[in-house]
Amino acid sequence: MAAPNPHDTHATTEAEGHGSGGLPQFQTEHWAGQIGYLLVLFFVLYILIAKVFGPRLRRVMDERRDTISSAVATARQVQTEAAEQAAAAKAEVDKARADARATAAAAKARVTEEANARQAAEEAVVNARIAEAEASIGKTRDAAMANVSTIAADTTAAIVERLTGKTATAAELTAAKGAA
Amino acid sequence: MADPIHQFQIQKVVDLGAVNLPVFGHTELAITNSHIAMTAAFVAIVLFLQFVTSGAKVVPGRLQTAGESLFDMIDGVTDSIIGHDGRKYFPFVFTLFLLVLAMNLLGMFLSFTPTSQLAVTVTFAALTILLVIGVGFIKNGLGFFKLFWPMSAPLILRPVVGAIEFLSFLLRPVTLALRLFGNMLGGHVALKIFAGFVVALGAGAFVGEGLGIWGLPVAALSMVGVVAITALEFLVAFLQAFVFAVLASIYLNDVVNLGEGH
Repeated sequence: MAAPNPHDTHATTEAEGHGSGGLPQFQTEHWAGQIGYLLVLFFVLYILIAKVFGPRLRRVMDERRDTISSAVATARQVQTEAAEQAAAAKAEVDKARADARATAAAAKARVTEEANARQAAEEAVVNARIAEAEASIGKTRDAAMANVSTIAADTTAAIVERLTGKTATAAELTAAKGAA
Repeated sequence: MADPIHQFQIQKVVDLGAVNLPVFGHTELAITNSHIAMTAAFVAIVLFLQFVTSGAKVVPGRLQTAGESLFDMIDGVTDSIIGHDGRKYFPFVFTLFLLVLAMNLLGMFLSFTPTSQLAVTVTFAALTILLVIGVGFIKNGLGFFKLFWPMSAPLILRPVVGAIEFLSFLLRPVTLALRLFGNMLGGHVALKIFAGFVVALGAGAFVGEGLGIWGLPVAALSMVGVVAITALEFLVAFLQAFVFAVLASIYLNDVVNLGEGH
């Protein structure tokens, strides 16, 4: 960069401003002022944080932790209560169901018993009627059977008379019936 | 191209004259740009904490959440590193953290970064190490020197390990000061140089100087670099403050819990 250059002149003037030419951080004539001032600032900030800001923040955070832990404890308690209530409700429902089942079973047994009893009674009545009917049928049949032999004798007599022209005696008729 | 070092120059705003101090020698007393930036950081912290804590609610707002997360983070650091006594040292570490963080972050917006001043980082480091030494002697008396007599090492090796421990203890303030100083210095120099490329090469392309028309792609590339480094510097600004706080806690822990399971 041999050509005259505005940047170059700028740089030279600044380099002159630096004095020794090294890093400006090593210009020790400015150290004491900075160090003293920084110590003051540090001390003031330390006091502020130790006495004001630190305790304030810690208080808020402790408060928050307490709030959260108490809320969690409450929630846990409520949850336990709810679980207990749910268990109680379940037990109640189970008991009610068992009761209902027992009642239903009892009712069914009673109804079955009644039905059986009624059925047995009706059966007895029906059987009696059947027996009666059978007895009357038997009687009628016997009577009919008795009539049958008379009819047979009459018929035989009538047939014999027509065929032979003679009337058969009662004794002959009976003998013939026995032979037939 | 603009001088990348110029941004670190202390400039007097109000001159208060010069004196000769015993340790520092010739000293210029003045309200400088460094003082103004430090004050801005301080005021920003106080306002932030005031907003965070004044209307503090159990259910926090956005700002309160931000403040509380910083608080929680440093509280966690002191608590987990120092242990039960951590709360006693929390204000110190939190003050350290907030001041470094505010000065780092402010440096991303203002033209001056106090933490890129060696005097400032040396002050932080000296404060930390002096507190460590003070607490060490108050809590342990001369037992403080047990720090350099590692009981866990075999007897023959103990003087050697002790010497190394002593040397590393001496280097602690130096590394504390130089780590922060170097990070801030390097980051801001890199930013300035890349930004300078953008302007110098971009302008050169139109006037026909420098790389001419070829300066444009380089300028564009530099622009991307500036954006990337800016993002990185925000990360570094936070990280260095956090590292400072963590290291201060570790050094404090060494003397607070001296001889308890080293």
